[in-house]
Amino acid sequence: MPVDIHAPFPERVQQALADPHLHTAIHRAMERMAVARTRALAATDAATMRAQMRRMKAHVLRHLPQYLETLERNLEDNGAVVHWARDAQEARTLIREIALQNGVQTAVKSKSMVTEEIHLNEALEEVGIRVVETDLGEYIIQLAGEPPSHIVAPVIHRRLEDISQIFQEKLGAGPTYDPGEMTSIARAQLRQDFFQADMGISGVNFAIAETGTVCIVTNEGNGRMVTSLPPIYVAVMGIEKIVPTVEDAFLQLQALCRSATGQAFSVYFSMTSGPRRPEHPDGPEQFHVVLLDNGRTQMLERGYGEALMCVRCGACLNVCPVYAQIGGHAYGSTYSGPIGAVITPAMASDLRETRELPHASSLCGACREACPVQIDLPRLLLDLRAELAHRGLEPRPEAWGIRAFMETMRSRARYEQAGKLARVATRLLARLSGGTLRTLPPPLNGWTQYRDFPPFASKSFREWWQEREALRGRESD
Amino acid sequence: MDARNQILERLRKLLGRPDLRFPPPETEPLRPGEHLAITQAQGDRWELAQRFLAELRALHGDGELVETPAEARLAAIARLTAWVEEERAIRHTEPDTSMPGERDVLSWAPQELPVEGLAPALEDLGFRLVVPQDLHRPDERDTLRPIRAGLTGVDAAFASTGSMLLGSGPGRSRVASLTPYRHLALVPLSRLYPNVETWLREQREAGTLEAVLRQGSQTVLVTGPSKSADIEGNLTLGVHGPKLVYAILFDDIHALIQEG
Repeated sequence: MPVDIHAPFPERVQQALADPHLHTAIHRAMERMAVARTRALAATDAATMRAQMRRMKAHVLRHLPQYLETLERNLEDNGAVVHWARDAQEARTLIREIALQNGVQTAVKSKSMVTEEIHLNEALEEVGIRVVETDLGEYIIQLAGEPPSHIVAPVIHRRLEDISQIFQEKLGAGPTYDPGEMTSIARAQLRQDFFQADMGISGVNFAIAETGTVCIVTNEGNGRMVTSLPPIYVAVMGIEKIVPTVEDAFLQLQALCRSATGQAFSVYFSMTSGPRRPEHPDGPEQFHVVLLDNGRTQMLERGYGEALMCVRCGACLNVCPVYAQIGGHAYGSTYSGPIGAVITPAMASDLRETRELPHASSLCGACREACPVQIDLPRLLLDLRAELAHRGLEPRPEAWGIRAFMETMRSRARYEQAGKLARVATRLLARLSGGTLRTLPPPLNGWTQYRDFPPFASKSFREWWQEREALRGRESD
Repeated sequence: MDARNQILERLRKLLGRPDLRFPPPETEPLRPGEHLAITQAQGDRWELAQRFLAELRALHGDGELVETPAEARLAAIARLTAWVEEERAIRHTEPDTSMPGERDVLSWAPQELPVEGLAPALEDLGFRLVVPQDLHRPDERDTLRPIRAGLTGVDAAFASTGSMLLGSGPGRSRVASLTPYRHLALVPLSRLYPNVETWLREQREAGTLEAVLRQGSQTVLVTGPSKSADIEGNLTLGVHGPKLVYAILFDDIHALIQEG
């Protein structure tokens, strides 16, 4: 059963953990991606690449207003129309206006997280526009009526068998488990749409300020179709997605590809510098670029600006033990995994709605190690937890628990008493259930739902040490 | 205040605050030439050509290296002819019954192809080179849609990754390397670089880098045939773009020296 992304967080996690197929799908994928990434990074000077990326991205953030103005000027010189949107609503409205003014009936889209973020498809469908996702993975989940569950691999949560089922049910395909055959079916279907669509929509991996160029990274070629065949092309980008120079663009491209899929380069890297000129055989007549804030300046203001350097490679998801257990949908947000747990609450206008997300991490640090920009995700998660606590937004029982813990740790007598109590209680309970603690009493039973709790040792370390010293005598004298 | 000025104003105000946690107050940009060469390739032009082919083949593409532009012309004709046969086999028709349009090739304009005399030679053999003029005309769209072979040159090629850079512009359609099932690319060795960073440095020093990107409305780097791993990690080729990418590398440098 798929995860209901509208259910409360604890329920989503329960649903994800209870789905054995989800586990199979995610484990198969994560192993594959981890191997590919490790190999790709071992083949180059990964440390220098990461250091240069971090330096470049931090520099862009420091001078973001200037780079935005340079980009805008160069885009306009190239013939693009630049729009600014403060929030999702503003972005949706202005893209819908472009579509309505031009009588758009069908829009084809290349995979884009930012348009998921602003819920663009629904806004266009509301006014009767047909919106077709053309990335194979996105196409499959659009058929299934699901949101993407991974930044790079949207249908990672589905097994081959599930996808075959979707093709049979939604497209009337014959029963096939051949991925090549399924791909051919999708190719033929989508080819129609590419040629008929009146509008192409994509996100932006990054834009080059010095040349006014919007760049997208794809493997299938749908990105090239979307940016080349329809008469109107709309590119939507977060305001932070800028690189200063062409050299920076190729550095980021390679860091992104190696970290995301282990490739040296994606199959296609499309650099669009403007609409078609009269003497050009193809390309869009209109080229619109939407620069979107939607909580990004707020992120900077609240101290989470480091996460604005994210290149959306998904490497932190692929190494995260929590993501491995619950998958992307359990996070309930557009962006999942460690980066999603940071940027979703940091960008949100109401911190309360996503207050569980900063806790969806064991703080093991694997994400920080994997990040091609070395974003300190565990520290940002801790900062968010601290902000939640300071603003009194932590769930009550947890606040009580932490206060009790604090009081206990502050007094030696209370600490020793608590230790003694835990030793006696856990050993007693363990003896009743045959050696290990399979269930703890409420409110601690959440811990033992999916794992055992080891009983405490019979003596504290201090007791054991004192006895040992007494037995050994005073050898050191 | 409009959205633009409000966003920019807010950013300026924030970045002026001394207590802002990130970014740090002093940051250094990367200067051109400082960037790490992420992939490397060594050797003379023949060795670079071999490396290019090895990288392309590893990505399920293919190609060959010939010595002269004349040989490249023959190789291109042979390849396109073989593709017509292969397409017939796919359609399960008798080998001697031709289909209308089976010798159509979606091509860059003859003067944009780096092999002289190729276009007339192909026309002599019954091929029809379809060169898009204006893709927004419905009749042009209908003509090019079913074409199964594409023919282009390249702006540059990079040995260390088997990549090709293709600009767009007059006589150079984007679709020639995109919508057909098979893509034949002609790569003169004078345009083959060890890696992308070498090309970037050369263009930057010559002051042409910006123009290269801004002249064409779109420039695309192609590294192998279209692919996806979206269906449970299974590699599938030809998802939307070409399933076959075939590069003919040829030495134009020797010819250039003789002419010069």
